[in-house]
Amino acid sequence: MSENKIKITSFLCNWCSYGAADLAGVSRMQYPADIRVIRIPCTGRMSPKFILSALREGADAVWVSG
Amino acid sequence: MDKCIACGLCAEKCPKKVNNEYEEGLGKRKAIYVKYPQAVPLKYSIDAKNCIFLTMGKCQICEKTCPTNAINYEDQQKDITLNVGSVIISSGCKPYDPGEHDVYGYNKSKNIVTSLEFERILSSAGPYEGHLVRPSDKKEPTKIAWLQCIGSRDNHLGSNGYCSSVCCTYAVKEAMLAKEHSHDPLDTAIFYMDIRTHGKDYEHFYNRGKDESGIRFIKSKITNIDPDPETGTQIINYIDEAGIRQKEAFDIVVLSVGLCIGNEAIDLAGKMDISLDHYNFVTTNSFEPVKTSKPGIFICGAFEAPKDIPSSVIESSAAAGMAGIDLMDSRWSLTKTKEIPEEINVTGEAPRIGVFVCRCGTNIAGVVDVPAVVEMAKKLPYVEFAQENMFSCSQDTQDAITNIIKEKQLNRVVIAACTPKTHEGLFQETLTNAGINKYLFDMANIRNQCSWIHAKETQKATQKAKDLVRMITAKVALHESLKEPTLEIHQSGLVIGGGVAGIIAAKTLADQGYHTHLLEKEDKLGGQANNLYQTWQGEDIQSHLSAMIKSVKDSTLIDIHLNTEITNVDGFVGNFETHINKNGDTETLKHGITIICTGASELKPEEHLYGEDDRVITGLELDQKLLNSDEDLKSTNTAVFIQCVGSRIPERPYCSKVCCTQSIRNALKLKLINPEMNVFILYRDMRPFGLREDLYTQARTKGIQFIKFDFEQELEVTAENDQLQVLFSDTSLRRKMQIKGDLIILASSIVPEKGNKLAAMYKVTQNADGFFMEAHAKLKPVDCSTDGVFICGLAHAPKPIDESISQAQAAATRAVTLLAKKTMNMDGTIAMVNQEICSSCGVCVSICPFSAPSFTNEGRYEGKAQINPVLCKGCGLCVGSCRSGAIHLKGFDNNQIFAQIFAQNDETDNETQTCDKNKAGTENERNAAKATV
Amino acid sequence: MGNLLEHMGIERDRVHFSWISSAEATKFVDVVKEISDKVKGLGLNKKFVKDYN
Repeated sequence: MSENKIKITSFLCNWCSYGAADLAGVSRMQYPADIRVIRIPCTGRMSPKFILSALREGADAVWVSG
Repeated sequence: MDKCIACGLCAEKCPKKVNNEYEEGLGKRKAIYVKYPQAVPLKYSIDAKNCIFLTMGKCQICEKTCPTNAINYEDQQKDITLNVGSVIISSGCKPYDPGEHDVYGYNKSKNIVTSLEFERILSSAGPYEGHLVRPSDKKEPTKIAWLQCIGSRDNHLGSNGYCSSVCCTYAVKEAMLAKEHSHDPLDTAIFYMDIRTHGKDYEHFYNRGKDESGIRFIKSKITNIDPDPETGTQIINYIDEAGIRQKEAFDIVVLSVGLCIGNEAIDLAGKMDISLDHYNFVTTNSFEPVKTSKPGIFICGAFEAPKDIPSSVIESSAAAGMAGIDLMDSRWSLTKTKEIPEEINVTGEAPRIGVFVCRCGTNIAGVVDVPAVVEMAKKLPYVEFAQENMFSCSQDTQDAITNIIKEKQLNRVVIAACTPKTHEGLFQETLTNAGINKYLFDMANIRNQCSWIHAKETQKATQKAKDLVRMITAKVALHESLKEPTLEIHQSGLVIGGGVAGIIAAKTLADQGYHTHLLEKEDKLGGQANNLYQTWQGEDIQSHLSAMIKSVKDSTLIDIHLNTEITNVDGFVGNFETHINKNGDTETLKHGITIICTGASELKPEEHLYGEDDRVITGLELDQKLLNSDEDLKSTNTAVFIQCVGSRIPERPYCSKVCCTQSIRNALKLKLINPEMNVFILYRDMRPFGLREDLYTQARTKGIQFIKFDFEQELEVTAENDQLQVLFSDTSLRRKMQIKGDLIILASSIVPEKGNKLAAMYKVTQNADGFFMEAHAKLKPVDCSTDGVFICGLAHAPKPIDESISQAQAAATRAVTLLAKKTMNMDGTIAMVNQEICSSCGVCVSICPFSAPSFTNEGRYEGKAQINPVLCKGCGLCVGSCRSGAIHLKGFDNNQIFAQIFAQNDETDNETQTCDKNKAGTENERNAAKATV
Repeated sequence: MGNLLEHMGIERDRVHFSWISSAEATKFVDVVKEISDKVKGLGLNKKFVKDYN
């Protein structure tokens, strides 16, 4: 992993947080470039396995947002 | 206009700044602009009055910067003739301008703003980027006041006599939002005459504002406002409820301006030859609420009367439906069918991925190093082709992509551009045009979720874009062709409830050509309307009702089932099977859609001597007396109306909406029968909303006495020595009062059937008050969250007869939009059970919010779970909860999500990972499963 | 989930859950910043990471 680069694997619900993320973009709000978004149809789709494997793959944090 | 791709370069370079009307003049825009960011179509246009080239003949910078040559200075206004069968007018209203007759000092202080200006101040896309500041010095305010009824309920010069209906609720909303926006505790006060939160759930909202947000509500009359230029505050001088002069200073004063009709709308009505009332609203009658005076021309929205979003949306559906009835014969006559190339079967082929990285003008390329992303993409496994596009969404690029797919025989496509939420459908169409399944596609969001939000971090943004593209490419390799299940829609409807809403809904369906079952549990049609006397406009209800009943009885397309109860419901949208019991006989009705309009009833109060003394009656019982021309009314000396009996109390916190108007109308009627009669109306807030305000004004001039009673103190009805008396506290005199009367009318609330068994049968929900819930309060006010089920009438919320009718027309019209399709294509991204592995535990069956999974009844996999593709919404809840790992979600399956997780690391690690992918996946799953157990 | 992670020696602040409606862009940004700050405080994740070397 390259130094000093944080990576946050983010699971965002297509209907809620993913929409909010788009809207934040449209509004040109600025925020840290640390998140890597994985679009999921609903937070109901989440499984603990995803969180564990993301951490195992070197994610520095996992964020699940509905 | 076809060439403009809304990149915004022209506006960025345009040297001319103009006041932005959309920002209510609080911000600036350029002479080439879009009116507001959500504009449809999203195309830039030149404001000819301000364009330097068009006014002075020099500049043309926009022409030089435009990457698609979309600038056309010669564009002219054109006259276009359209040949149409019906016209719907929805030209709306305009806000009242408080600056014209400036009694509130609007022109004197920057810190006195209208409610619309305040909306822009609060907006994160607004002139102050969502920071709540005082316009004069950009200081954060500590106190904000709202003044209600600006330009409404006011007969002075330039103002309007009617109530604008929406301002009370929006003022509460703005005050709540302002408190949320403010860093320090913010003091908010609303100065009002009556708080009119009469819409569905608005009363709850008002209570929340008062009790939870701590907004102060001050019943008052405003004398004037003095701006203090030194401190920037404004001092509001007012007379409080007790008649005492008060003053208080505020940082910002928001004028809650009303709605009025502009001159353009009046001109339009003149050209169309439709009649307007004395306020210039379009005249309609209560039984045909969207019909204008001219046949074939329909009206919806605030040009008909001041109204909120849900009512406008309801009316728009109703107007479309009524126009549709007129046009029934020509349905489908002007539609064009698109030719779709045959789909190439790619199953079993190794993935050949095409990656297209969009520059989006400078939107993406200005931040992200697009060529570097393309280079990285080219090295990814299975990627056959990668290139950048200037604008992927433009028509010529679409065609180019189609050709590349064919030429390179690509079978998976990744587009790295904006957001799938707006553009997924467009690109999927491109795939379809190229002859490959539209689910062999995904998007990497490198604009909305990358370049736009990391504008100053080029390096990080490029890295992020690379990661996102790599992740989605890994996922797409695992995508499969998906089929969209098709569903036949049974071409008939079921309307449950034979009241006014049901009758109109059935009639609208039949008029559109659909066979309809109309169910009523009683032995006659009409419901509550059988007890009603007149509408607020004075139209007779009984004669109209019998005409309506006759029209449904005469219709050959409507089957009326009286004395009928529903025993059980099977099926879902398109194919419902409703089992009914009609006087002991059972029958099964098949229908494609369901409209629920089971109504509500009047509360029979258990207080105020109701039921003990026959001189105490309810509002509906007075209607009955008026219908029967009861002789006793002539000899009545004093009548007392008591408002909000059973409404707006902790047990029933909603407003019943119709009772204020009903009481006023009946009070006027009593005065007509016996002009000597003393008539009192005891109220908490008088709510004759919209144009009904006229009736209230009229009642006061006729000598009807309106007294606001203190709700916190007890109100009691006694009958000592056979003399009826009402004891209460007057809020303005602040003392105990008593009125002796010989007729007491309780304006009793409207109560829905709580725990209505239909809710469970059709899988729709009721709110805490027992009213059916719509899918979206504003945008889908007649749809239920269950597909194919619609609601209207009193079962949805308390409402007057004209609103019930427009809602019934709207519900039927929404239903027709489904029926008219004949078949439905469902989404392909749904869950599927591998029945070999299923352990029949039943978790998916119980957990699914849409009841899609069930147990198979027969065959080889009896007892195993199966998922109905029509009901499945693809949320994946069952997949996450399945203990055996037997359920797969197409398009978002475990391996696809794991592929994304594994692909998020740096390029250097990349090769090991993707090769190792499947192995790692299973290993990881095993580990994780162990860990969770 | 939190307990499991702690059991595995992963800091609780490495996994976050939130609920944001599609209209709440401001909240979205605030949450991203908050999480980012917390994670920066923790530094890079070294535990339980698959070793590629």
